Amino acid sequence: MAENVIGTDISPPDLRAKITGRARYAEDFRAEGMVFAKLLLSPMPHARVRSVDTSRAEAMEGVLGILRASELPQQEQGIGEAALTDEPKYEGEPILAVAAVDETTAAAAVEAIRVDFEQLPFVLDPLESLREGGPDARLDGNVGGRGEATTLKWPNSVFDEAGPDRLPMGEPATEWTIGDVDAAFDEAAVIVEETIVHQSVTHHPMEPRSCMAYWQNGKLFLHGSTQSTERTRGSVARMAGVEADDVVFIGEYCGGGFGSKISGVPSMAVPAVLSRKIGRPVMLRITRYEENYIGRARAGFQGWARIGFRGDGRMTALDLYIVQDGGPYGRASDFSTAGTVATAIYQPENMRFQGVPVYTNTPPRSAQRAPGGAQIVAMLEPLVDKAARELGVDRLEIRKINAPGHDGWLGPNQGPFTSAYVREALDLGGELFGWEEKSQLSGQRNGTKVTGVGMGLSPFTAGSTGRDGLLVIRPDGKLYVHQGIGNLGTHSIADTARPAADVLDLAWDDVVIVWGDTSKHLPFSTVQAGSQTTHAHTRANHAAATALVGLLQELAASELGGSPGDYRVSEGRVFRAGNRAAGLSFAQAAERAMAMGGRFSGEVVPEDLNDATKAAVAGLAGEGLIAAARDNYPQAGAVFTWVATFAQIELDVETGEVEIVDLASSTDCGTVMHPRSLAGQTNGGVFQGIGMAKSQRWVFDPKWGIPFTKRFYTARPPGILDVPLSPRFAAVNEPDPHTPVGAKGIGEPPVGAGEAAYACAVADAMGGLCLCRTPLTSDMILAELEGRPRPYGLLDTHV
Amino acid sequence: MEFLRRALNPWGENVPIGVSWDLIWAAVIIGAAFVVGHALLVPKKVDTGEIDEDEARGLPAKLLRHTTGARGFHWSMSVTMFALLITAFFPVIGIQFPWVTIHWIAGVLLILTVIYHIYHVFAKQDFWTMWIDRRDVEEGKLGLKAAMGQADIERPRAGKYPVDQKMFHHVAMIATLGAVVTGVLMMFRVDNFLLPMNTYMFGDTAWGWIYVIHGVCGIGLIFLVIAHVYFAIRPEKRWMTWSMINGWIDRERYLQNHDPARWTVAEAGSAAADAEGD
Amino acid sequence: MAVIRDMIPPFELFQPAGVDDAVRLMDQYGDQGWVLAGGLDTFDWFKDRIKRPAAVIDLAAVDEIRGIADGASGGLDIGAMTSLTDIAEHGGVQGAYPLLAEAAGLVATPQIRNQGTLGGNIVQDTRCWYYRSGWPCYRAGGNICYAGTRRSMNREHCIVGADRCVAVNPSDTAPALVALDAEMVVVSTSGERTFAATDFFIGPDIDIERMTVLEPGDLLTRIVLPAPWEGARWYFEKIRDRKSWDFSLVSVASMLQVQGGVIQDARIVVNSIAPYPVRMGAVEAAIRGREPSDETGQMAGEIAVEGARALRHNDYKIALTRNLVKRSIRDAA
Repeated sequence: MAENVIGTDISPPDLRAKITGRARYAEDFRAEGMVFAKLLLSPMPHARVRSVDTSRAEAMEGVLGILRASELPQQEQGIGEAALTDEPKYEGEPILAVAAVDETTAAAAVEAIRVDFEQLPFVLDPLESLREGGPDARLDGNVGGRGEATTLKWPNSVFDEAGPDRLPMGEPATEWTIGDVDAAFDEAAVIVEETIVHQSVTHHPMEPRSCMAYWQNGKLFLHGSTQSTERTRGSVARMAGVEADDVVFIGEYCGGGFGSKISGVPSMAVPAVLSRKIGRPVMLRITRYEENYIGRARAGFQGWARIGFRGDGRMTALDLYIVQDGGPYGRASDFSTAGTVATAIYQPENMRFQGVPVYTNTPPRSAQRAPGGAQIVAMLEPLVDKAARELGVDRLEIRKINAPGHDGWLGPNQGPFTSAYVREALDLGGELFGWEEKSQLSGQRNGTKVTGVGMGLSPFTAGSTGRDGLLVIRPDGKLYVHQGIGNLGTHSIADTARPAADVLDLAWDDVVIVWGDTSKHLPFSTVQAGSQTTHAHTRANHAAATALVGLLQELAASELGGSPGDYRVSEGRVFRAGNRAAGLSFAQAAERAMAMGGRFSGEVVPEDLNDATKAAVAGLAGEGLIAAARDNYPQAGAVFTWVATFAQIELDVETGEVEIVDLASSTDCGTVMHPRSLAGQTNGGVFQGIGMAKSQRWVFDPKWGIPFTKRFYTARPPGILDVPLSPRFAAVNEPDPHTPVGAKGIGEPPVGAGEAAYACAVADAMGGLCLCRTPLTSDMILAELEGRPRPYGLLDTHV
Repeated sequence: MEFLRRALNPWGENVPIGVSWDLIWAAVIIGAAFVVGHALLVPKKVDTGEIDEDEARGLPAKLLRHTTGARGFHWSMSVTMFALLITAFFPVIGIQFPWVTIHWIAGVLLILTVIYHIYHVFAKQDFWTMWIDRRDVEEGKLGLKAAMGQADIERPRAGKYPVDQKMFHHVAMIATLGAVVTGVLMMFRVDNFLLPMNTYMFGDTAWGWIYVIHGVCGIGLIFLVIAHVYFAIRPEKRWMTWSMINGWIDRERYLQNHDPARWTVAEAGSAAADAEGD
Repeated sequence: MAVIRDMIPPFELFQPAGVDDAVRLMDQYGDQGWVLAGGLDTFDWFKDRIKRPAAVIDLAAVDEIRGIADGASGGLDIGAMTSLTDIAEHGGVQGAYPLLAEAAGLVATPQIRNQGTLGGNIVQDTRCWYYRSGWPCYRAGGNICYAGTRRSMNREHCIVGADRCVAVNPSDTAPALVALDAEMVVVSTSGERTFAATDFFIGPDIDIERMTVLEPGDLLTRIVLPAPWEGARWYFEKIRDRKSWDFSLVSVASMLQVQGGVIQDARIVVNSIAPYPVRMGAVEAAIRGREPSDETGQMAGEIAVEGARALRHNDYKIALTRNLVKRSIRDAA
């Protein structure tokens, strides 16, 4: 038996290249005759281009061409965003691009261009836009609807009644209810209520979205940085106005995306179209400054919650109102996800959700690692702590009381989960952290430092079904796992191949992963988002491997006699049970398959495969023993992963500084595929969440509508010194019964857990006082401790 | 040479932000050239013309030309003006010291001085004495010809104020009021206890022009002060300078330079009247 | 004209091998020249194309102003091009001037400390993000302070010493050097001048476009530390949002000479609350003759913030300054 690789630590195949610097990212590529492009960005948060004078730029030596918005293939109508625009809706939105022989020339040419802008009204704060007569971020409205913008204004009385410190709550755009919330409040033993602000933050992936493109014989070759690979091809094709078959997308390495590079990014259209226009390969290197603008951000919330509890700690009523800051194109549905995720934490007996997604003239939003989920966890968990204190219920206990079990339900439709080992995860984490002892330290003072402990429980969606797996045994005897998924840095290209190795009982060294280039015949896959990949592609590769075993057995039977069921597959051979010698090596099997053709070598494929997979198999046909299969495993319920994070902090009452002394996290993410990678994902997500809660900022000047946190040092994502050097980690490691491998995703839920644990621990150190906002920086804490004026209004955003 | 300093505002719009500091040197050079040119070209002729005994009859030996109030105004204005010019321009040319507070306080004092002056002019003095009328124009023409050396022309006598003085007054008034009005607005952009900060009271372009006007007026005042001081120390004008110090002129100067028809004795009053105050 | 960032424009590079050549080049290019030390301040400006000098005079090869030597008066003589890492790790600095070693060791990140120099850290420009965005503010020769308005985002800005401009001095080593009574040696083509550290930094009231006495043509060559006080106690603390790669919100550097349990002399300096490191003279006078106790610290803290005025978002700096001054007396070791 080959060693089972699921659940062991491995070095993924891309690791060495990344560490040694051999890995080539999009901007490392060069092509014959390649030139460079630079973008001209809008200086105003909302404007219309009246005229553009490019004469001086075009007269410069080395300038090869200029691309305007009107030259891009027609994108989707309505609220869609294009790579370039003549009506910029945020400061920094690209207006045009210039190609030149080098970047120095391109930059000088951009500087020489005169654009005459007509200023238009702009808005940064969603609440401003909801006021009567308040500015709208878009000419067609201020609030997101179904594919189009609408206009929603609240009467002044709504704002007057709310006052400065409470969320005004006028007519919502979306609303749903479970049970009877008002009646539940009437009977509640304890009710807590707060106005809460969760900030927007930019994604800041290490690798900006640089891109290089060229055309050969009518085919577009594009090197980019995206989270997905196979699913990027279609979006690139739409941007370039060609068929997907005419696109080769190459992206083997991606320096982080966090949801901002799911399947292609608008700016890719610039080199794609410009290179066609000027007949030269075009490299568009996106700088850190530009990445700050076009690199996407998390939607911000101005929210309000009222929560009712029975005396025993059960949450009987949750009333939630969220005003979302969705940027000018409003692609994020965070606010609505937030309502759904809230049910997965607490299973409230009665609930009302109301929300308004508002457009603002700030850079575009997209999913960001647990979109909506992280925000709502960080917003509600401190309130649950507050209620626990009033009820006299232990804070870990109150979460166990309300957490879903396997019979739990999700969202307004109250559908089931596939599995929910949430209480197990809470127990495991509590034990790992030492909750019982540590919660006794709460409020203890040592010199100027006060100890606080807190925890956060964070669920998020973690899977999907119906994708395809594609496996090839080539005459070299190795198993080639073709991965349509991208390599966004999570190891999932390797980890999701493991079920194939295990099903075939093959040594990991004999597995070759094929990824990162759509010309390499990649199967239909998920987009790398929503933490789907591990779940979806362990299933798909499991299905393909199972099919491959069947093909090997059939092949052996036809070659060596007997029935397929007489054959076993193990350690690179298919052989008669009990007699390893009576069989074929994988190399021989591949040769035989090529000779036999038909189903064995990919000439005939299962009908239920996606067209993209069929095309991939057609491209490989005849190159070995080929198995492609769709994930048809049955599934009932939503796939969710939960992470619980526990934090111990010390708050210096003389400075407001918070030091995180200890961190521990636990998770129910089904079967553990790869412990080291799981720990990396969990701790990384927790740190990212802590950053959002503690130091990271996205500050705009309200007068000019221009952001300042355009660099790492001003945006302040956390550094390694801001968290304990040895955060602890454990997983329940119970397989999800609805999936053959039992694995669920892990990428997203840690973010909210880290954020909430931090917020709750700080509130704990302040005697239970919740400041109810992110970021919660030392200045705000100190002002509160010293009884000085608050640095910001309770509803202020972008602080 | 650029006349304006311009900049790109945060929205990339090209806006004026002030007057070019090169103009300081232009004002100094033009002022110096004027002084040198005038000193060389115009003879220093002390007027010793005979006086008409008829006219002299009944006039006191000393005649009040500037009341205490008027002199107070003048010297207060000159002190604040020097303070303003020094605090404005020395730092620009490299002599650095904390100037802003002194500058705006001097500005406030100048405003008070100007307000007093306006009150004084309307309440206590004849507003029209500074008015330029047809006779002033005639006087100016002849005076210019005389100054240019046409010996046959006898310089006409002035009213209370010679026309060149009137012209100086009006130009200085425009420059001062321009600087004062813009200066008051600019105080909304510096921290002071009189006016609240309101940086964005106007748009960038409007603010830019306010700074330009302030600068132009300030630089204009450099030239005017140079010219003014120069004339104050010209030998043939020193009697006027003295009158600004002690208030009076003697009967001879009066009759030599002033036309009693345009500035009558009664109006002129006497030195004794001055002692009673105004 | 469109604005573009993150793209260094071309310039002429000079790499003199000695101070004489360097100052001659600086004299030749005047305000069109730019002195490059570690580059941490410089390249931000260049990348954003906001400062566009014709000539860059790189001091990397000027070895005569790199390194730490014994000074004439029993102190140390530190070349301006000495890296912050070398200062933080130097035995002599750690032994006699732990305050400076600590301050240098808290700058940014290890990479930045390896590359950054003491001279550069002292003369670095303010980090006011309005100014750094290339907006035409007073400091950039304009007629407005964008950071001081009622709507500005000025959490990091001044509570004292503002004069139209409300930017703060970001240096970590500057307050330490003022507290150590260091001298700054400045060379130009017209010779050598020496400034007390406290006089080296200037506010916007004197010159709104500079943070130090250095004018075009002036090169900071050496920092001279006097012999340390006998039995001195010291304290340095830097409050920042992150523990690495961050500028101070407020920092405090103090030197106390304590004999017989009583403060004989003191130098207390707070930075990032004004456009220059603020020497707390009134505090120093008030605590002489007292014990370095919590009460003395409390009193000192109150005195330290007398006259401090908050902008829209930085009132916390008043409390923070008060508390840090208190600590710098109470907790000095």
